[in-house]
Amino acid sequence: MSNFLFGRYLPGNSWVHQMSPQSKLMLSFYFVIVIFFANNLASYAALAVLIAIVILLSGVSILFFLKGIRPLVWLIIFTVALQILFSAGGTVLWKWGPFSVTNLSLINGGFIFIRFLLIIMISTVLTLTTTPLAIADGVQTVLKPLKKVKFPVDTLALMLSIALRFVPTLMDEMETILNAQRSRGVDFGSGSLKHRVQAAVPLLVPLFTGAINHAENLSTAMEARGFSDSEHRSKYRIYRWQLKDTVSWLVFLLVGGLVLYLRK
Amino acid sequence: MPKTKNTLRLNLLAMFIAIIILQTSIPLIGYIPIGPLSITIIPTTVVIATILLGTTDGAIIGGVWGLITFVRAYIWPTSPLATIVFVNPIVSVFPRIMIGLVAGWAYTALRKRFKNQSLSVSIAAILGSITNTVLVLGLIYVFYKAKAPQLYQINMEKLLPYLIGVVGTNGVPEAIFSGIVTPLIAVPLSRAIKRRQ
Repeated sequence: MSNFLFGRYLPGNSWVHQMSPQSKLMLSFYFVIVIFFANNLASYAALAVLIAIVILLSGVSILFFLKGIRPLVWLIIFTVALQILFSAGGTVLWKWGPFSVTNLSLINGGFIFIRFLLIIMISTVLTLTTTPLAIADGVQTVLKPLKKVKFPVDTLALMLSIALRFVPTLMDEMETILNAQRSRGVDFGSGSLKHRVQAAVPLLVPLFTGAINHAENLSTAMEARGFSDSEHRSKYRIYRWQLKDTVSWLVFLLVGGLVLYLRK
Repeated sequence: MPKTKNTLRLNLLAMFIAIIILQTSIPLIGYIPIGPLSITIIPTTVVIATILLGTTDGAIIGGVWGLITFVRAYIWPTSPLATIVFVNPIVSVFPRIMIGLVAGWAYTALRKRFKNQSLSVSIAAILGSITNTVLVLGLIYVFYKAKAPQLYQINMEKLLPYLIGVVGTNGVPEAIFSGIVTPLIAVPLSRAIKRRQ
């Protein structure tokens, strides 16, 4: 099952695990932006070294990262091929119909490959070392300034935590529904549009009904425990900014500066 | 009690977000592959949310779907198309918010005219689905014209016909699917909710 958020977290006690989720989230963001600025071998190499250090510090086996990339291999190859075949400029090395390969497009294709890898790596580090709930908490902290313009940050964060909490539950329920329908002889894998529609409806109706039931039960339970609004809630886990966050930010900012210096 | 309603609304929105997250990560209930095409049934979910919870909440659910698409285009792209098109937040988020708004407006307007709820839901769903396709296509075109900076510098001039072909051919079965399935799900659900209140 291709899953980009769930079941990927690996418990641990490394440097990266100990960093606060809000700074990990912002660092990943910042890193993706810096990747945009890299445009030659030296700047990409600087970023690659940085990500290698981050992976080492996360204490997670490199195998997990390779496993994470595997479902994306074809997509990466396809995009790189598109880039190589469809970009213009440079000396033409090979031409066939609308396709052409130039020396520039080959270089760009290589860079896009590295870019892909770097972005997937940083996001994999984030999801391997941070639980979904911690990420929701990080989002709340990052969005806090929006409170000034009356944006309901806390409500949004609570909604996100509830949603993340119920994704596995709904997934289990869906599995049950799927098996129930399969045991009645429904074939989900093939057929015409009409057939697919007939298969989808008995799958979606119980899923939605179940979700609405959860919402109602949860509302009752929350109100019975005195939930009134999401603005004045206390927290079980509090993530504080630490020395590790400051050091990581300094290193990342330094590398960011280096990339700006190295780029053409 | 208005407060009770707020808690319920919060939880319903959370559940719909959970369903959207589920649909974007599990192929079977989010996307239906038919031959070479892969039509998405998430607009159906957005329209169902719009009809059950109202226009604003439908737009919120649509926006959440857009945000997920936007983030995933970078870190975990679902298709080669996503890496080219959805890395732009205006292309990925704005059309999805509009699904909720258009379907909501159409539904409230149609309900005043027609007695038949299924028919109104069906038309609203088709309009919502078409909104998504037209806006995504339109915005791809606009941004191509404006020569916006892209993550992957691909020669768009040659690629554009293919891009429009892919999105366009997906759009038609998507609208048909939406039009048929949405009333089949939304009408019994809205009855079930009414019965409990």
